[in-house]
Amino acid sequence: MRELTFTDAAREGLAEEMARDDMIFVVGEGIGARGGNFNTTVGLYDLYGEKRLRDTPISERGFTGLCTGAAVLGARPVIDFMFLDFELDALGEIINQMSRLRWMSNGQVKVPIVLRGGVGLASTGPHHSANLFSIFMHLPGLHVVTPVFPADAKGLLKTSIRTDDPVIFLEHKKLMKLKGPVPDGEHLVPFGQASVVRQGKDLTIVGISFTVIEALNAANLLEKEGISAEVIDPRTLAPLDLATILESVSKTHRLLVVDEDFSPCGAGAEIAAQVMEQGFYELDAPVRRLNGAFVPGPYSPPLEAAVIPSAQSIAKAAQALMVE
Amino acid sequence: MAFEITLPRLGWDMVEGSLADWLKKDGEFVKAGELLFTVEGDKAIQEIEALDSGYLKTLPDGPQKGEKVPVGTLLGYLVPEEELAEFHFPGPALEPVPVQAVAQPAGLPLETPAPVPVDGHKKRVYISPYARRLAQGLGVDWQGIHGSGKGGRIMALDVEQAALMKQKTTVPVAVPMPSPSVSTISAIQPTAAQAAQYAAERHAITPLRKKIAEHMAYSAHTSAPVTLTTEVDATELVALRKALKEDSAITGQPAPSYNDLLAKLSCLALLEHPLINARIEGEEVVQMGTVNIAVAVDTERGLIVPVLKDVQTKTLRQLARESAVLIERTRSGSITYEELQGATFTITNLGMFEIDAFTPIIDLPQCAILGVGRIAPKQVVVDVETEKVAIRQCMMLSLTFDHRLVDGAQAARFLQRVKRFIERPYLWMAG
Repeated sequence: MRELTFTDAAREGLAEEMARDDMIFVVGEGIGARGGNFNTTVGLYDLYGEKRLRDTPISERGFTGLCTGAAVLGARPVIDFMFLDFELDALGEIINQMSRLRWMSNGQVKVPIVLRGGVGLASTGPHHSANLFSIFMHLPGLHVVTPVFPADAKGLLKTSIRTDDPVIFLEHKKLMKLKGPVPDGEHLVPFGQASVVRQGKDLTIVGISFTVIEALNAANLLEKEGISAEVIDPRTLAPLDLATILESVSKTHRLLVVDEDFSPCGAGAEIAAQVMEQGFYELDAPVRRLNGAFVPGPYSPPLEAAVIPSAQSIAKAAQALMVE
Repeated sequence: MAFEITLPRLGWDMVEGSLADWLKKDGEFVKAGELLFTVEGDKAIQEIEALDSGYLKTLPDGPQKGEKVPVGTLLGYLVPEEELAEFHFPGPALEPVPVQAVAQPAGLPLETPAPVPVDGHKKRVYISPYARRLAQGLGVDWQGIHGSGKGGRIMALDVEQAALMKQKTTVPVAVPMPSPSVSTISAIQPTAAQAAQYAAERHAITPLRKKIAEHMAYSAHTSAPVTLTTEVDATELVALRKALKEDSAITGQPAPSYNDLLAKLSCLALLEHPLINARIEGEEVVQMGTVNIAVAVDTERGLIVPVLKDVQTKTLRQLARESAVLIERTRSGSITYEELQGATFTITNLGMFEIDAFTPIIDLPQCAILGVGRIAPKQVVVDVETEKVAIRQCMMLSLTFDHRLVDGAQAARFLQRVKRFIERPYLWMAG
């Protein structure tokens, strides 16, 4: 199979969808002729022009509200926020309108919108490094999608665009240049299906977004210590595929959740709680979380390295869990 | 303030132990520095000094003598004189005890301990949820299982092992049950008394036995043991020992035993063959910087191996003095945990039981163990040409080594060196 980068694979998915359905348009800062800050729309402006690739002023709340109205009236907007951090300026529209209209109208209106944003610490400092997965997981009516591998970036973006509800599509900046095999043409990855990216028998490591890659590296380190780690990529946090995690835990009886995002009320806390509720009698040790430090993302690379989970710190946490 | 008395840690890796005995009576006044109680760790029994002064109040629902409890478990209190009248054991269910009308005069030790309210708090046994369900499925009563998890928590593995043990112990023991209700059958069945007479005797495994069992099984499963045997002419060694003994009678110093002699000459051979004085640590082979020789000693409680440290720096006389003390303390059970640690090589001698050769088990992480047989006179051909035969003192040596660390030829060269030192003691007397 041919190899593409994460960004190229996602853009291929977007291009295929835009070709299929002319109700799809993209708005955002610099996504027109410039092709997007992260090359998310390169080449598409030449095909579809300003009508479907609309550059916006710096007015997140404004264009998010406009897109919500457009979606209600039958369009399928993709809002490219560049950084998830900028979505915070539009939270009123996202939470109060976008996520609730379907419920408030008794299902009479649909709000098919994809909100794209780069997440994670990548030498990007406190204003451009948010993960904030749990804010969106917390809300009814939103899907939260965190692809890791290029094929999933394409397959999940296509599914997101075809979903009739708002989707928070989060792309870790350290994944954008990651290469991997990507199927040609129609490739759809359904929501709520986690992927077991490495088989193991001693403990289960659930990674979220980029930490899946670090968890895989950690699993290789652990293998040398005689510890066989199973690594799971949930792929979508809402809906969350707990069944796959539970199945793994009923094999390994130990669970470590790794998340670069903050620990309190985080995705790991949610997974831990659900496993405790539904898989309590499979646990031979307490569920452990490994999170990024509880501080805003620092800009200095040495500081950044110190606050995010690494292969080494994951392996260490796994070892500690093995001797619980 | 009453001072807490807790189970101390005797060695760096000790996690639990048992109160062997109190050396003071409940209610007795104890001065700081006096011996207060004895603790049985994995191998040693150690006397523990009182750290503070006060009247001893043993915890009424504290651990029983011999019961294994985690390090740090509360055993009792030392209560200062001025607080004695008001002292009571703290506990969640405890109501403030009204002071009795006729109070003891303060400062007088209580002859008989006053009845103490006991809080009905039972020590909690922790078990992982998965282990708990596993135990239920396997029909294992987990309350009595010793947990290997953090803080003694019972893990799935512990339950599986307990289930295995249960299988092993319940299958072969088939004592017919007396059935008084079926009178026709009871005539041909052994009576309850007879059954009791033939029934297997059961005793709880002692901590020492358990430790030996784990350690030996671990060695047997982990190492790649090979045993080499050779016969040695020990005539000269016997002569040397005799001379040393006669000299000791004059000087009044303890005479070096055969084990001391063997420790000293093994040490010299080990210095020449450092790979035998080595161990595997992870991905590394570590050649030890000193020679610490353990000498296996049989005691009533089981096998104990005190360690002669830094043998290369000590004279035979020093070794003799040291080993006499160590062996005495081993037999009396007062040896400390530290004195049983750190060996780099072991000597085990079964000569006194008329054993010639055997296959000892390596005490991991050591590389080798030397088994010493009895010394017995034998008729030996000393010159084939002249067909000359002589009576010589002969002895068998059995060296078990870990083939993971060294190969047969290396170990054989080491054993050959030991043999030579035994046959010609003057070689190593030179130092």
